[in-house]
Amino acid sequence: MKNKVLSLLLCGSMVATMFAGCGKSSASKSASAKGDYSDELTLDVYDDFANYNGVQTGWFAKIIKDKFNIKLNVIAPNVAGGGDTLYQTRTAAGDLGDLILVGTSNGRLKDLVDSGLVLNLDDYMKGKDVTKNYGNAIKAANKGLDGTYAMPYSVSQDSATTPGEGTEPTFGPYVRWDYYKEMGYPEVKDLNGLLDMLEKMQEMAREKEGKKDIYALSFFKDWDGNMMNNAKQPTCMYGYDELGFVLSKYDGSEDVDILADNSPYLDVLKLYYEANKRGLVDPDSTTQNYDTMSSKYSHGKILFCPWPWASKSLFNTQENTSAGKGYQMIPISNMKIFSYGATPDGNTSQAICIGSKAKDPQRIADFIDWLYSPEGVECNEQGNGAQGPKGLSWDLDKDGKPYLTEFGKKALPSNDTKVPKEWGGGSWKDGVSALNFKCVSLEDPDKNAGGAKYDYTTWESYISAAQTPIDKDWSEHMGGAKTTMEYLKNNDMLGIAPGTTYSTPEEDSNISTIRGQVKATIVDNSWKMIFAKDDAEFDSIKANMIKTAKGLGYEDCLKVDFKNAKDQNAARKKAASK
Amino acid sequence: MSEVTNTKDNHIGKSKSVGFKYFLCILPFIILVFLFSYFPLHGWIYAFYDYKPPRSLSQCEFVGLKWFKMLVSNPTQVKQLVQVLKNTFVMSLLGIATSILPLFFAVFLNEIKNKKFKSFVQTFTTLPNFISWVLVFSVAFALFSSNGMVNTFLHQMGCIKTPIKFLDSDSYTYLKMLLWGLWKGLGWGSIIYLASIASIDQELYEAASIDGAGRFQKILYITIPELLPTFFVMLMMAVSNFLNNGMDQYFVFQNSFNKEHIQVLDLYVYNIGMTGSSYSLATAISMLKSIVSIALLSLCNVVSKLTRGETIV
Repeated sequence: MKNKVLSLLLCGSMVATMFAGCGKSSASKSASAKGDYSDELTLDVYDDFANYNGVQTGWFAKIIKDKFNIKLNVIAPNVAGGGDTLYQTRTAAGDLGDLILVGTSNGRLKDLVDSGLVLNLDDYMKGKDVTKNYGNAIKAANKGLDGTYAMPYSVSQDSATTPGEGTEPTFGPYVRWDYYKEMGYPEVKDLNGLLDMLEKMQEMAREKEGKKDIYALSFFKDWDGNMMNNAKQPTCMYGYDELGFVLSKYDGSEDVDILADNSPYLDVLKLYYEANKRGLVDPDSTTQNYDTMSSKYSHGKILFCPWPWASKSLFNTQENTSAGKGYQMIPISNMKIFSYGATPDGNTSQAICIGSKAKDPQRIADFIDWLYSPEGVECNEQGNGAQGPKGLSWDLDKDGKPYLTEFGKKALPSNDTKVPKEWGGGSWKDGVSALNFKCVSLEDPDKNAGGAKYDYTTWESYISAAQTPIDKDWSEHMGGAKTTMEYLKNNDMLGIAPGTTYSTPEEDSNISTIRGQVKATIVDNSWKMIFAKDDAEFDSIKANMIKTAKGLGYEDCLKVDFKNAKDQNAARKKAASK
Repeated sequence: MSEVTNTKDNHIGKSKSVGFKYFLCILPFIILVFLFSYFPLHGWIYAFYDYKPPRSLSQCEFVGLKWFKMLVSNPTQVKQLVQVLKNTFVMSLLGIATSILPLFFAVFLNEIKNKKFKSFVQTFTTLPNFISWVLVFSVAFALFSSNGMVNTFLHQMGCIKTPIKFLDSDSYTYLKMLLWGLWKGLGWGSIIYLASIASIDQELYEAASIDGAGRFQKILYITIPELLPTFFVMLMMAVSNFLNNGMDQYFVFQNSFNKEHIQVLDLYVYNIGMTGSSYSLATAISMLKSIVSIALLSLCNVVSKLTRGETIV
């Protein structure tokens, strides 16, 4: 009774709401005269996507301090943990932040607008470049709202059917290419074939390195949501992506519920169970988090990875590649990798807003405007793969073509390189913008860089210089393709889901409550299934999972998910025909 | 006559003002109790709404008993709730069953004649009580995870080939949790008994010695009977906290593998309310918890009245 954390918390938030209500009249919006940035302004930035909590430091902080005299104090739920708790307590208290970067699915944006937590930007954004350049996307982001409250995410000039990724897909079967080479480039026909290949590779790698802690597969639990995150990944290599409890194919040809008999998700669980029986799964999997796992990848100790950004980006350093080691994608004959199409009207599932209690909203609006400008994209999106500030990490040659400077070669993508004092000092990696928000797609042309893409890995100068021995070897065996995306496109192995402005509508709270419990059931039992002792145990856990999920009301959630999937498919079709 | 009445009046007036003074003395505590034990109860109102932050309560729909009905609406939900209650009861019962251990620990500790060793043991066993569960878990993780000390040791000795899953399996979950709890609470729990032992009249022991009682007889016939009243007070307090067996211990140790048996009521409320983001349902469950607590306490009271002839409350 006395230990009622929850009721105390609710009480606290209620009291806070009361006080927040009282202060309505005061919130002085002392809009500084246009362009007057003489007072330093510290912004509380609520950011659903940030992986760093605290005040922004380093070179990015210096740039925005010089330009706008602002400091960013980033509040990151990802770091704080506990799911939606931080969002809910802050919104219940009536102040989410000055600058708000938020996921808008499940009707969240409408909630924020209705409860008066975000500011109408109509007046502040009038006549700004962002309004001129991205008017359609802003309109799409605020569809159904009375005014401009949200600024769009990942706006692109490409058509909806162009892949939104640059040189590497989001998903893909990446393995240690050096071992694969030593095995004589065996052909892999399907996922079972992949498992057989990995088994041999693990044996060989252990013998070669003389270490026993090399494993084919390693899992972690941090990102589990509707289902076990790791088990979903292989389905993405066959063109599926999740939408609630439904796996929806990129072209709308198939929506399958994850507990159905023909569910690819259940197939993967069986595959992983098989892998664990053969001793291919890292025993740390059940207890480790993403950090522990990714440090294993940066030591090359896990042979397979479903993502390039967790394997190739971490391990393929200059040192390793020159020693002939590295991760590369291998072809699986029947794969069709899911690719997120570009979003000409922006991706409406994420947005930037200004909090209704923000001081000097005009200056924040100016800052947001800058984030959508070429210079803003170069700097703010460096962490996502842009080139960084001109003059430091890159420059133009005499023909007006961009190239990476010596510093850029050392520092990019995000290395611990020392930044010169006049650029803010500190390490390059620590100075990267913590916002983790792509205003404009990296595949868009950069006016400042002579029309080359923001994604520096697509620059001619970069591709020709970056050909390490392992890249060359890979290229030779992949029909001369220069990049992974090029290979996938040439071989029709890419399933591009047209980019849309679709985001899931608000859900009935009954369904959300059921969903929360069903999620936990599915995730917990998926883990148990993979680590089951024998087939009988595997089957009994599976049966129990399906029974419990259905008993809790899985079917009710499915109805919603199937409808959402249908709407999304329709939106994709529409976007593709534009 | 009138004189007598006067003095009487004076006396009453005096005691009234003294009474008021005493009342003022306890007033701060009444306010605190009100603030922290009764005021939060108004949060129960959330159980009757469909509360979804950031909307304020007034913007949310009033749903009456919907959440309470939902708890018993389908057999799977009921089954889960029953399992959770079972976990709570079993762990609480185990805790109560082992609450005699600190008493024995104190008795035996008291028999140690070497003062330095005695105080060393006492300090050493009391310390874990001050370590938070989060840290206890990190110690547990360092020792028992798949590449922890124990597994590494066994592996290098050649006893095992694959690591033993101490933390991420559902075998003996109750027992494991009990042992962790004991490790943490044993020394601390024995303090009150040590204090009681110190206050036992030494003449009893002297008399027993003269009668020729040995060490064990003294323990059996003097120390333990003298400690029993204290033990019963502690027991009663434990019973009234029956449903409050805390959540931090189970929260840090929970994972997909042991969740079925580790999820006690408080943790269940947390998992549904915080991570499942359904505050209203979580509030409804925690209300039920209060009701069950009151029922248990009343039961205890009745039992006490029947067996001892006096009530606790």
